[in-house]
Amino acid sequence: MKRFVALKVNGEEYDIDIEPNRLLLHALREDVGLTGTKEGCSIGVCGACSVIVDGKLVSSCLTLALACQGKEITTIEGLAKDGRLHPLQQAFLEYGGFQCGVCTPGQIMAAKALLDANPNPTEEEVKEWMSGNLCRCTGYYKILEAVMAAAHNKISSDFQVKHERKTAKIQSLNVYKDS
Amino acid sequence: MVKFEYLEPTSLKEACALLDQHPDDAKIIAGGTALIIWMRMRLLNPRLVISLEKIPDFNYIRYDDKDGLRIGAGARHREIELAPAVRSHYPLLHETFRKVAQPRIRNMGTVGGNLCQGDPLTDPGASLMALDAEVTLTHSKGKRTLALEKFFVDYYQTDLQPGEILTEIHLPPSIKPLGWSHIKFTPRSVEDFATVGVALTLRAQKDTCEDIRLALNSVAPTILRAKRAENVLRGKKISDGLLREMGETAATEVDPMDDNRGSAEYKRDMVKVLVRRAAQEALQRISLQL
Ligand code: FES
Ligand code: FES
Repeated sequence: MKRFVALKVNGEEYDIDIEPNRLLLHALREDVGLTGTKEGCSIGVCGACSVIVDGKLVSSCLTLALACQGKEITTIEGLAKDGRLHPLQQAFLEYGGFQCGVCTPGQIMAAKALLDANPNPTEEEVKEWMSGNLCRCTGYYKILEAVMAAAHNKISSDFQVKHERKTAKIQSLNVYKDS
Repeated sequence: MVKFEYLEPTSLKEACALLDQHPDDAKIIAGGTALIIWMRMRLLNPRLVISLEKIPDFNYIRYDDKDGLRIGAGARHREIELAPAVRSHYPLLHETFRKVAQPRIRNMGTVGGNLCQGDPLTDPGASLMALDAEVTLTHSKGKRTLALEKFFVDYYQTDLQPGEILTEIHLPPSIKPLGWSHIKFTPRSVEDFATVGVALTLRAQKDTCEDIRLALNSVAPTILRAKRAENVLRGKKISDGLLREMGETAATEVDPMDDNRGSAEYKRDMVKVLVRRAAQEALQRISLQL
């Protein structure tokens, strides 16, 4: 029988009607409508579905949505604030920490959980922590580089400005009309 | 995954009563890392899933010099790995738990759930056995205590009876100096299951072995204690030859399976080597070099 649940995702309440067998992953993607969290292996191995629940990194593919009532859920969509990227997101862009991008939301959520608990990790600590986040294209070095860069604030201060200018420039060409 | 009802009892009593009311169609969920996979594969299709998450004080980790270590069955792998009492009094446990899967899964999976799944491939059982763990099984009319080595019965089968919930793991006080070793041998990446897992503790006086516990995982239908191999060393003057003999004896006590982590023959050969290495490492830890 369906049950009425309030999930708190990225600070906002979402009221959804779900079966008790609904996994957090599918509730986020299909009921809440936040599709940044990805499904890879479905068995807890790949890390694509990583989200943070009450400060802890978990696999949303192995978590029942019902068990998350009253908890704070953070997904990749909750990282950028007021149009500004989170330092980790910027670092992944600047350091080329992804190619196809399917593992990236999980990589960034894992890195965020680490930096929240340990703002100054060693490379070894990052490697050990991120061992549960698989990437099939980038090669792990660039991911490691991006996480270390975010931790040590080695990201450029004018990235956001340049990025916005670039976007504005493209938009000014008026090729894609906003309807 | 089939549809089920989901309940979150707020006391152990309530959880046991629910199990009594649903003897055949209820399953307990703790961390979910094993149960959800099995439900998604439709190997288990319970009508009722009972979560233990809302039971208060179910994840404690308490140490007392006289009583030893008591771990609430709801403690997560990560909590055990990081607990100061575990680090200082049971370094073998710390070392073992930090090798289970990867941090995200350790944040989720509980030690009680791990033991009740009865999966011979997982790491914690062997080290707990090498430290003489016993488990408390609670039901609506009382509880019983059992040595962990008696708890594992067969592949995925434990001595847990209908209506029972594993509630506590107890280890006797740590006697120092204790030599110990944990080897998780994986030809693939670290977060995989072990091809062969060895947990060993020993005490020695001069060069004589006073006592020893040897437990192995991934090499039989259950995690097991290799008692004949222990007896090769117990009470004897330790020598290289004897360590070799102990490894060879352990290899006769296992019953491994061919799979993608290695052939049965290979695993048996590795038992010989790794048991000897584990003993050498344990001896080094108490500065007994051979
Ligand atoms: S989809 Fe959840 S860990 Fe792979
Ligand atoms: S960027 Fe493609 S899997 Fe990681």
